[in-house]
This record gives sequence, C-alpha cells and structure tokens, in this order.
Amino acid sequence: MRESAGLEQIVVIDDDYAMRLSCLQALSKLGLHVETCEDGAKGLNSVARLKPDLVLVDLKMPGISGMEVISRIHEIDPIIVIIVITGYATIGTAVDAMKAGAYDFLPKPFKPDELRMIVGRSLQHRRLLLESRRLEMERELLKRRFITFVSHQLKTPLTAIHQYLDVLRNLGDTVEVRAKSNEWLDRCLKRTKEMREIVDDWLTLSRMEGGMLSRQRVKVDLKPIVLNVLKTYREMEEANDVTLVPQLPGDSCLVRGDHNCLSVLFDNLIANAIKYNKPGGQVTVSAEMGDGEVVIAVHDTGVGIPREHKDYLFDEFFRVRGQGHTATTGTGLGLPICKRIVRESGGTIEVESEVGVGSTFRVRLPAYNAQDTNENQKGDPGDFGAEDDIDH
Amino acid sequence: MHKAKQVLVIDDDGDFRESIRPLLENRGYLVIEASSGKEGLRKLIEFKPDVIVLDIMMECLEEGYGVNQAIKFKEAFAEYRSIPIIMVSSIHETPRERYPRAGEVDMIEPDCYLTKPLDLPRFLEVLDRLSKARA
Repeated sequence: MRESAGLEQIVVIDDDYAMRLSCLQALSKLGLHVETCEDGAKGLNSVARLKPDLVLVDLKMPGISGMEVISRIHEIDPIIVIIVITGYATIGTAVDAMKAGAYDFLPKPFKPDELRMIVGRSLQHRRLLLESRRLEMERELLKRRFITFVSHQLKTPLTAIHQYLDVLRNLGDTVEVRAKSNEWLDRCLKRTKEMREIVDDWLTLSRMEGGMLSRQRVKVDLKPIVLNVLKTYREMEEANDVTLVPQLPGDSCLVRGDHNCLSVLFDNLIANAIKYNKPGGQVTVSAEMGDGEVVIAVHDTGVGIPREHKDYLFDEFFRVRGQGHTATTGTGLGLPICKRIVRESGGTIEVESEVGVGSTFRVRLPAYNAQDTNENQKGDPGDFGAEDDIDH
Repeated sequence: MHKAKQVLVIDDDGDFRESIRPLLENRGYLVIEASSGKEGLRKLIEFKPDVIVLDIMMECLEEGYGVNQAIKFKEAFAEYRSIPIIMVSSIHETPRERYPRAGEVDMIEPDCYLTKPLDLPRFLEVLDRLSKARA
C-alpha cells in the first residue's frame, strides 16, 4: 500500500553516501517521496514494501550487483521504471543494463538538473505505463463481466428452448402435446430472436470499441434520420398502440457526426420509448437549436424509471426491472450503445423520468457549422436521405 | 383415493414454467406457478404444496437462495419447513461450491440441486422421491 497516496515514490540504491544525499535533496525539491538505501538487499526490501514508481540503481555496489537488482525489481513489478547510475568507465555495462530492462541511464558525475530532467522524463514514461495497465485491467474486467453476462443472458433463452424441445420429445405424441407444440415452437422462435438481438448488439458494441462506427464526423441532418426511424416503427406492429409524434423544426437539423451511428442512436431511443410505453401512450421526438448545439428529446408517456435505477441506466447489461417492466425483455446493451455514440460524437445524453408518468431522453450534439470546417463535401453521407419525402 | 400431490414452481421464466407444467401434470401432479420469490412464498402459505421447485436467479439476483433460507429458517414459515425444495438453475456450481464458507451455505442449501436445462428423467425421479417421503 502507498504510504502517501498520490505522491510519486522513488527509491535510490547506491553505496555512496554523498550520492544518496544529493539525489535525496535534488528529488525532494520536485515534491517526490524519496527513500534511499545503501545496498541491493535493503533496496529490494524497500521496493517490495513501497512499490515505487521509479528506482535509481548504482550498477557498481558491494553485495547484490546492480544488474541482479534490476531483474529482481521487475520480478516485483514489471512496470517500475529503473534508471541506472554509472561511472563513465561502465557505459558498456549501462547498455547491458538497459537491455536487461532499465529505462535510461545517468553517467556520473551529474548535475542536480540533469538528474531532475531524466527523472521527470522517466516518470512521464511511468505514467504512460500506469495508464495502459489501467486500461488493460478495465478491458480485462469488461471481458470478465462479458463472460458472466453471456452465461446469464444467453443461457436463459437457450435453456428455455432446450427444455421445450426436450419436454416435447419426452411427452411423446399425444393430442395435448400436438395442441401445444405449435405454441411452443413459436415461443422457441421468439427466444432465438432474443438471442440474435443480443448477438447483434454485441457486434455493434464491439465494432464501436474498435472505433469503426464513429470515425466519421461529417455534416448530418438529423431530421430525415428521426423521421425514417419513426416511419419504420409506425409500420411495425409493436407500435400499434403508441402514437409517434415528431416535433421537428421546419428546416434541417445539422450536426457533426456519423450517419449510421446516429441512426442507431435514435433507433434505440425510440424503440425504448415504444417498448416501455403504456397502451395508448405517446412518443414525442422534438428537436431545437441551442447555443452551438442541437438538442433532441425523445419523450414517452410510459412506465418511467425508478430513481434508484437512473445511475445504472447506461451501464452495460443493466435492465430496469420492477413494476410494469416484468414482461419486457431486452439485451441490456441499447443504452450503453447510445451513450457511446453520443460520447464519440462529442455530445451528451441525460434522462429525466417519473415513475408512472414517463421519461425523456435528451441528447445534445454539436451543431454543424459551415465556417469551422473545410471538409470535403463530395459524397457527404450527411446528405443521405435529406431529399427523401417522408410524410408524417 | 389419493389426493394429487402439489408442486409449487417458482421461476421468473414463463417458458420454464410452461414447459414443465404438462410434464408434471402427466405424472399426476397438480402444478402451482409463481413468477417471483414473493409470489412463491404467498402461494406456499395458500396451498401448502408437497414439494417446491425453486429457481435461483430471479428479479433480485440470487433470489432463490433467500426464498430457501426463509422457508427453512424463518420462524414465520416453521410449519412449511419440512417441505422439500428442489433448486433448479443454470448455475453449474452447487450452492456449497459457490459459497464454500461454512455457516453461509447451510442457509441456502436446498434438499436437492439440479442444473438447467433439466435432465428430465432425473428431475422426475427426484420429484417423486422427495414428495413421497412426505406422505
């Protein structure tokens, strides 16, 4: 454990007292926590205890050699940055030390400024290493959560299908079974559809992970996108009971972003607004120009989101459960996808909701401004669908 | 005449309940369904079934463990304590493997643990045996 959280820690291992003292003085001025040791064994003890960011090692010491110390430090933690201190006579050894894993070397004698410079640079390197380790751990955690998720969300429908088929076979060919089998097959198909949707969402999410979907930041008109989505859902049975109302400005709603991503975004938001609505309810999609941004609100008159769930709403695999939600299935990935699209488009998304009354998802996206761009307009996907005549 | 044995099936997955219902009815059982732990406990009091089939992962995570614990240890359920519970889940570890610390597991360990999808002959055999033991 860190004794002084936040403060970067350095261990200096050198048998020369004067050297230890000058390192201590020069580095303490940088606001670093410095611990000094006079030989390799004591030094390794300190390293094991402190898990420092950086170690300065003299190569020529009695006892455990500097080279040995380097490899032992990296056994303790491979991302501790090591600088070797060496006299001119041992430059060759310094090169060997760097091959063995030292990050840099400092020839003796050196001025305090030289020491501070090299330490500053090495700590920069250390921060990069820490950052990439953090990202690596985050990825690892996500992967683990992903596996847990697979075992639940995907296994549930799979188990249901298996069981239907197994029971059908087990019961044999009777009149009641024949009566049931059609209904059961329908249910099996419904569950396979559920599984397909989960897989589709994963693919969308992992494509986005690779930055594939939202690399483009071009002029996009949101109006035809929203109208297209509304039209699709109006034609689908699921929306029969819910009225879809666009409240869009007369002219276009231009933002910077990626056409496909923004289609996915509004498809998800509107699908949710329909899915979590009440019979006879309404979904309103409104847009207005703000200060350098376009604000789009998807409002429903549905079951609403309990306050305690609001914080988790955009987390992967989370699904609101509770009153009025029990019959609804979903992949749990819709809103995380929305969040990522909005973030990568440089915007924000927020939600207001009241249980039993409805929810409003408000997306703010940077408005397209012709002046601040000289991008190539040729084949601009933002014009896609702009001329489509969609009645509503 | 023998009164038909009653099975209470507590599982939030409607497809699971739907698929085992005819299987159990064919076997001569009377099936009572509950889609949550709470509903399950209510129906337990209402019907006093001969055997319980209990899912683990329901609305609240690991809800089934709580239901098992309530029935086996809560004073309010003392008269239902002897009703055998068959826990069914797609979790492959038994409660004992999942929660190896002693004390903890005693609270959630059912009379029998089976994984989903069910091995149907085994499930029926266990069901018959446990419900008969109570006759």
